[in-house]
Amino acid sequence: MKDAVRRLNDEYKFNLTDKEIDIVAQQVEEAALLFQPLFEVDLSGVSPLTKVDKKVIKSVAKKDTK
Amino acid sequence: MKSLEVEGLTISTVAPLIKKKKISPVDLTRAYLERIAKINPLLNAYLAMAEEEALAAAKKAERDIAQGKYRGPLHGIPFSIKDNIATKGVTTTAGSKILADWVPDYDATVVEKLRAAGAIILGKTNMHEWAKGSNSINPFYGTPLNPWDTTRIPGGSSSGSAVAVAAGLCLSSIGTDSAGSVRNPASLCGTVGLKPTFGRISSFGGVAGTGGYTVNHFGIFTRRVKDCAFVLNQTAGYDLRDPLSSDEPVSNYMKTLGTSVRGMKIGVIKGYFDQCIVSEVRHAFDDALKTLKALGMKIQEVVIPHIDLVPAAQAGSTRPEANSDHDCYLRTRPRDYSPGLLYSLIAGLLTPAPVYVTAQRVRRLICEEFDEAFKSVQVIVAPTIFSPAPTIDECNRGYIEADGKRINLADRAGNFLTRYTIPFNVTGLPDMSICCGFSSAGLPIGMQVVAAPFREDIVFQVADAYESNTEWHTRNPPVQ
Repeated sequence: MKDAVRRLNDEYKFNLTDKEIDIVAQQVEEAALLFQPLFEVDLSGVSPLTKVDKKVIKSVAKKDTK
Repeated sequence: MKSLEVEGLTISTVAPLIKKKKISPVDLTRAYLERIAKINPLLNAYLAMAEEEALAAAKKAERDIAQGKYRGPLHGIPFSIKDNIATKGVTTTAGSKILADWVPDYDATVVEKLRAAGAIILGKTNMHEWAKGSNSINPFYGTPLNPWDTTRIPGGSSSGSAVAVAAGLCLSSIGTDSAGSVRNPASLCGTVGLKPTFGRISSFGGVAGTGGYTVNHFGIFTRRVKDCAFVLNQTAGYDLRDPLSSDEPVSNYMKTLGTSVRGMKIGVIKGYFDQCIVSEVRHAFDDALKTLKALGMKIQEVVIPHIDLVPAAQAGSTRPEANSDHDCYLRTRPRDYSPGLLYSLIAGLLTPAPVYVTAQRVRRLICEEFDEAFKSVQVIVAPTIFSPAPTIDECNRGYIEADGKRINLADRAGNFLTRYTIPFNVTGLPDMSICCGFSSAGLPIGMQVVAAPFREDIVFQVADAYESNTEWHTRNPPVQ
């Protein structure tokens, strides 16, 4: 992860110190752990939320899509 | 001449007096400006004043009312506006160093609507840097202080707005809320804070980069539930300039005030809102449930199966959306962010695209689950924040001590101060925080009242019923 942060550092010219690169890399690693459970949900037939409607438009029932 | 005493005033009490010409909008505006001059140095609620414009607007209001052109309950009423909402001719910094000198040449739609209703804009309120946090410790403009105890944070990000309303430095304020930024400071400062349904109030004129596009809402601070209904009546509605605003018809939100809640069903979500809750908040919330039950409401447990994914869905939405507006500043002025915000924005650049899309799909799933819950209950209630206001020192060290244990203020899932409010940003549901008690240290405690999409009328009905049968809203903070 530190390499990815270093690439950004070069591209954006942040001039991050090594300590700062460590801080950002750690945050990215923590975020990856936070996001992982999102990918463990069965989302077949569930489309992205784009706008709140008065009546929630039901996703296609999962059993119909398998 | 002795100036008007404004501490403790409400729109509901002042508006009829303005209409009957018993209170002059000019005197009222002057009285607020005088109180701000005296109190604001203690609380740091306002960043910029618009004194000349406010007095000119007040004089016009007075003339119009004298000529029989009374526009309604906001005519002559002093407001403040969070500093990430564009106000023509008045600096709009978003609490940031980068926008320190930005003076918009236009008003946000909500500001336009308030001016059209005859409201008086007194000035701009302090906030967390770029609205990206909830403790409002601001290295550039100073930290707004909680009027109930000035060693404590007022919450955030719309901190100055909540402080201004609680301390009697305006009668209402407009803020923004992408993770709890209206409800959180409302709870910690003991005011009413409404985050309406997503799209109910136009977001046009909100400073880009101060809230994710699909989770950000404009909201309202007042001292009373009824006052909030007055303000929503004037500010809700579709706006061509905000494609995410809704064309759902706007109700008259006064209609349900004072009507019985007997027989209505309240949902209580178990689990999620128990995380880290301190006992004083738990007891206040339990007592509030008893009050609602005594009013004839029925309480039942509801289950939202994927609610524990809310922090991930929230972060997976907000980080990429807000980051997209910061790219230019990250390339040109990275060191004009505070270090903590800079690091989190850089980390946000490394959020993979599939995270964003998957977060939106999980959000729909969670919306469906709330929709199912609202088939059996009319409202859901929950504590607004797990604890009363922490001290500034506690925020700086990152934890509080309560009930004999240490409770961190954040973890990888984000900020604990917004943990209880983000389910209603992820879903866009209408949600009001009202005061439901005080801690032993005299600090306000908040409760959220949530309804199905665009059912703000029900939120108002239940919140008003609770407020009318309790006395918490009658207390004033000790700051003088």
